[in-house]
Amino acid sequence: MSLLEVKGLRRDYGKLRAVDNVSFSLEAGGILGFIGPNGAGKSTTLRILATLDVPTAGEVLLEGQSLVDAPDKARPLLGYMPDRYGTYDDVTVREFLDFFARAYGLKGAQRRQRVDSVMEFTGLGPLSEKLTTELSKGMRQRVALGRTLLHDPRLLLLDEPADGLDPRARIELRELLRALADQGKAVIISSHILTELAEICDSCVIIEQGRLLAQGRVEDLLRSSGDSSQVTELVVRLAAGAEGEAMGARAERMLLEQPRVKDVTREGSALRVRLELEPGAGPMQAEAAAAVLLAALVAQGLPVCAFSPRERNLEDAFMTVTKGRVA
Amino acid sequence: MSTQASPASGASGSIPVTAAGVSDRWERWGDRLNPLVVKEVRQGLRTRVFWVCFSLLLLACLVLSLTAYANTQGSSYAREGRTYFFSFFVCLGVVHFGVIPFNAYRSLAREREDETWVLLLLTGLGPRRILRGKVASFLVQAALYASAVGPFLLFSYFLNGIDLPTILVVLLLGGAWMVFLTLASVCAATLADGRLGRAFVRFALVGVLAVTFIQALTFAFVLTQGRGNGFSFDRTFFLGVCAGLGMMLTDGWLLFETAVSRLSLMTEDYTRHPRRALVVQALLTFAGVVVVWWYVDFNKDVAEIAGIFGGMHLIGTGLFTVSDVDGQARPLRAGTRPWSLLKPGALRGFRLTVLLLLGWALGCSVLLAMSDGSTSDTLRGWSRMGMAFTAMALYGVLFLSLALLLGRMPRSDRLASPAAVRLLFVAVTTLASGLPPLVAVFLGMDSADPLLNLLNPLVGTVNFGRYDYDEPYGTRMTPELLLCVALVALLAAFAADRVLAERERRAHGS
Repeated sequence: MSLLEVKGLRRDYGKLRAVDNVSFSLEAGGILGFIGPNGAGKSTTLRILATLDVPTAGEVLLEGQSLVDAPDKARPLLGYMPDRYGTYDDVTVREFLDFFARAYGLKGAQRRQRVDSVMEFTGLGPLSEKLTTELSKGMRQRVALGRTLLHDPRLLLLDEPADGLDPRARIELRELLRALADQGKAVIISSHILTELAEICDSCVIIEQGRLLAQGRVEDLLRSSGDSSQVTELVVRLAAGAEGEAMGARAERMLLEQPRVKDVTREGSALRVRLELEPGAGPMQAEAAAAVLLAALVAQGLPVCAFSPRERNLEDAFMTVTKGRVA
Repeated sequence: MSTQASPASGASGSIPVTAAGVSDRWERWGDRLNPLVVKEVRQGLRTRVFWVCFSLLLLACLVLSLTAYANTQGSSYAREGRTYFFSFFVCLGVVHFGVIPFNAYRSLAREREDETWVLLLLTGLGPRRILRGKVASFLVQAALYASAVGPFLLFSYFLNGIDLPTILVVLLLGGAWMVFLTLASVCAATLADGRLGRAFVRFALVGVLAVTFIQALTFAFVLTQGRGNGFSFDRTFFLGVCAGLGMMLTDGWLLFETAVSRLSLMTEDYTRHPRRALVVQALLTFAGVVVVWWYVDFNKDVAEIAGIFGGMHLIGTGLFTVSDVDGQARPLRAGTRPWSLLKPGALRGFRLTVLLLLGWALGCSVLLAMSDGSTSDTLRGWSRMGMAFTAMALYGVLFLSLALLLGRMPRSDRLASPAAVRLLFVAVTTLASGLPPLVAVFLGMDSADPLLNLLNPLVGTVNFGRYDYDEPYGTRMTPELLLCVALVALLAAFAADRVLAERERRAHGS
């Protein structure tokens, strides 16, 4: 049985349908990326999962129990981190965590132990006596994550956790989340930073205008979104030399004259080439087209030092699946 | 939880145990406290506002007491107590009637703005415990301020000219007023969600606090100067104090429950407590009115005053009750019957309001009919004011129904929100109050013309109150006209009820 099951979730605000028939599930220890453009219904879905909103229709089961019918029973199993960190002025890190531990009903030695354990896990120990307002964004985000972990929830709901963080903080966050998943916690992350998600998540859900467009394991999503497209991309790198600029321009002109080339973009010394294949063309046809192109470049005497298909990433899958519409 | 090994860079495994020295008893006691109290008091004592206010309060009291000492040093028997007691009370009043309520408002408003509110709700504390903790923490801070002024207030007693009962009554009423203002401010913090709304509420609250501050000090001044030397509990004063305390107590409770309800989640039975508080308040107040009426020898003035002011209060509270959202969350629907009037939903709120309004008018009418002075010319004495507050209740029902019909009957939801329904009520009532007298003036008629103002909630009520059998050619608003108003009001109420029932069905069916 899945830890979380979302079935036909719908949320209407008057005539606006913010979430429309969204279904997915998540196993314990899994990390699910929740992707969608602004206004797609990500935060609404997360708020429903956090029992802060009620769906117009549909069901959400957490450990087999309806989260809609019995939100009080579900809350101890949930840890929700909204996109705003929500810290208080004039309160130290320890006091902040201690306050929330009290609020969760932890008492005495158990509370102290819990706060210490969470501070150690999130690396906040050395900052325990600092005011939360004096912390950097990355550290405040850790405090917020620490708060989310105080009551040892089974499911973590993180709304845009990496937003506004520097690269180091992002990498550290990624490690923290991976460690949590290894402990058997299920994590749902909504984010705009798709490259981050690809590295953290096991599976992804893509929604637009409240509707679920695609879901599944990240690699499956990349493959399926790639197969459905008749466009393939190549990266051509020319050897840098005294005539590098002129050479690049010549290669660009030449490539654009080729029959299947749809578009050429220059990125420094590299050229990004988009090939358009016939409908129904598979990897074999793509490889054949690339070989023809390489032969033409070499025949023109251009110093090709690298020639490779461009790897599809989550951003490509996202762009392929979505159309940029807002609910 | 197994969050032992830290994946975060630089995390050390040796966290010092800070509470090692805290005794078990203290810790157990601390664990029993509301977490909000601990946090808010801790936060409050760290703010600059607290220390600045505390220091200024102490300094002002010190300067005043030195002045008092210097003034009374030469004379053998001075009677300066009243003046100095009032001066110390003003110092305390600034903090208790201004700083504490405003800080309570700001604290909750920030909690909502920063969205820490939802984090608190998810801990399982619940809005009631959270608000109770908030209010309690500000009362603790108020007690700290009072501890600074307390010795000086006592000192004023020794300056002669003021007796202990006066000091105690002023402090009791002042304390109750401060609690009421704090509850009202906390409730105000839940009123607006948007930035503009919040700014308006903040501005309005500052204005209200400033006005009530002056009123409270004026009342305290009158009390200390008028009764300061030789306090006596006469009947009118006793009734006034009881009524004031009763109002602060029941309205404070109602405001608290309203705030809790506004902060509850849709999944909770969020209307049960405020609606129950409203019903209990109406019943308690009516019982109080009966007791007072009996105590003052069945004086009809009591029933008249209760009829008018109670009706106005119920229309005001009803405006919030009827403008609830349509329907209720799925888990609550199962046990809901047509008479479950305390459960969420505009339909049940509307029915409750109509019942309360009509019940109140009926109760006060019965009281009026049984009053002394009505027995000699029963119909004349009773019908005048009885018709007035019955009419007021009917106007209340009519205009609440109209606001609901205008807001919620169209398929479009543009005017269906609670705030829009309230605005519609204000707009319709203003129009209905202002337009008929204007039309009457244009037509060359009396602006208070009874027929033209039949559905005017303001002039109509006054006209029914003026009805006089002895003056056949004067303003005559006959019982038949009241019947017409009743018919229109009940038709409108029936239509509103059906519209709300249909909307609820749609909301539950979607």
